[in-house]
Amino acid sequence: MTQIEQKIIRKAAKGDRAAFRQLVLEHSHAMFRLAWRLSGDENAAEDIVQEAFIKAWRKIGEFRMDASFKSWMHRITVNTAMDYLRKHVRRKQFETAEPEWETLDRAAQVPDTGTQIDISRQTQVAMMDLSEAERTALLLKHYEGHSIQEVARIMEITTGACKQNIFRAVKKMRVALRPLVAT
Amino acid sequence: MKHITDEDLTLLFYGEHDDPTLAVMVAESEELSARYDALCAELKLADAYQPPQRGDDYGAEVWQRIESQLVGKEAKTGGRLGNWLASFIQPRFSMAGALSIALVAALAFTLGRNGGQEVINNPIATEGAVPAMAMADIDSSRLLTHSVSTHLEQVNLVLTQFVNTSETSSNETEYATDMLVANRLYRQAAVQQGNHKLAAFLADLEPLLIELAYQAQSGSPATRERMQQEVKDGLLFRVRVMNKQLNKPEISV
Repeated sequence: MTQIEQKIIRKAAKGDRAAFRQLVLEHSHAMFRLAWRLSGDENAAEDIVQEAFIKAWRKIGEFRMDASFKSWMHRITVNTAMDYLRKHVRRKQFETAEPEWETLDRAAQVPDTGTQIDISRQTQVAMMDLSEAERTALLLKHYEGHSIQEVARIMEITTGACKQNIFRAVKKMRVALRPLVAT
Repeated sequence: MKHITDEDLTLLFYGEHDDPTLAVMVAESEELSARYDALCAELKLADAYQPPQRGDDYGAEVWQRIESQLVGKEAKTGGRLGNWLASFIQPRFSMAGALSIALVAALAFTLGRNGGQEVINNPIATEGAVPAMAMADIDSSRLLTHSVSTHLEQVNLVLTQFVNTSETSSNETEYATDMLVANRLYRQAAVQQGNHKLAAFLADLEPLLIELAYQAQSGSPATRERMQQEVKDGLLFRVRVMNKQLNKPEISV
């Protein structure tokens, strides 16, 4: 973490809105990417980002300066996304009696032409078939580039459990993506 | 020979395997190479899973949406008199900033005095793999690269804030002053080390930092707009590119 970022965080922790605004400007894109990959939905990702920043504002006084602010924000985003998805998927299932991912599955049943869009969609479907823990661990490792230790800290699990989640996720993803390799 | 599992290969793919000899084993075995290549090809497909793009103003949009919902704490201010007193009591630079500047000054002094030739007492240098003189050059070069990279991260942060706000804030000018001082020292250090490309880049940054540092006293809204355009048109991009290059040790800048 840079010295200026530390300065900004200290100011934000004291209630300085201008300082917190700087943090929002700096981290919004990264948080949106993570929230979108966790939820698979643009509108949900927007809501998660906003909610996560509001939580961060409330809790920024608890942030320890020897930790990584990016990892701290990722932990808040992951927790917010999990709460959001549990609440919304439950509500949707109750209202429509049709699981959200079934709609997604149908949308994904397009001919395997091997185009970038097909691959992206197939990846999304495979991603959504993972358990919450597997998906989160894989996203933080594969797309965000965190070390396994950092992923474990963000998810508040042991390193061993984190590795197992990544291994299971990779195994499932490989099975799902293998047919696309040759195309 | 130990059986290599898919888990081992996954850890290797992510650069997390504890055994440094695994990569060699994979390279030397046809069967392992084939398994590893398959894993790489399948996992690399997942890179196509990219989120929809958000514009440069996305951060500002998020702020607009959440600003009214941020409740519960306000900045503790001591009123006008308190602020006026604080301006005398508070140091112009934070301790961390001062330390950083002292470090760079020391770096510049060392490079200037010894031309980067003095042997640094580094345990790696005694191993004989690299001549000690060359090691000293590498160490001072790394120190400069690391310091400038941190500096450019700070510049990036402040410029991003600058192009997204319409009014000058005291924070902005304070940070710009800190960065201006650091920028000059880094430029001198780069010149001493013969890194003219880096020195030229830092020299390009300086006029903007000067304007940013003093705009509170002299800047008009039109001047600010002109500066914002200048930053948007390329300077911000150049700062990011240069920082990326500095973080790739194999590319000399």
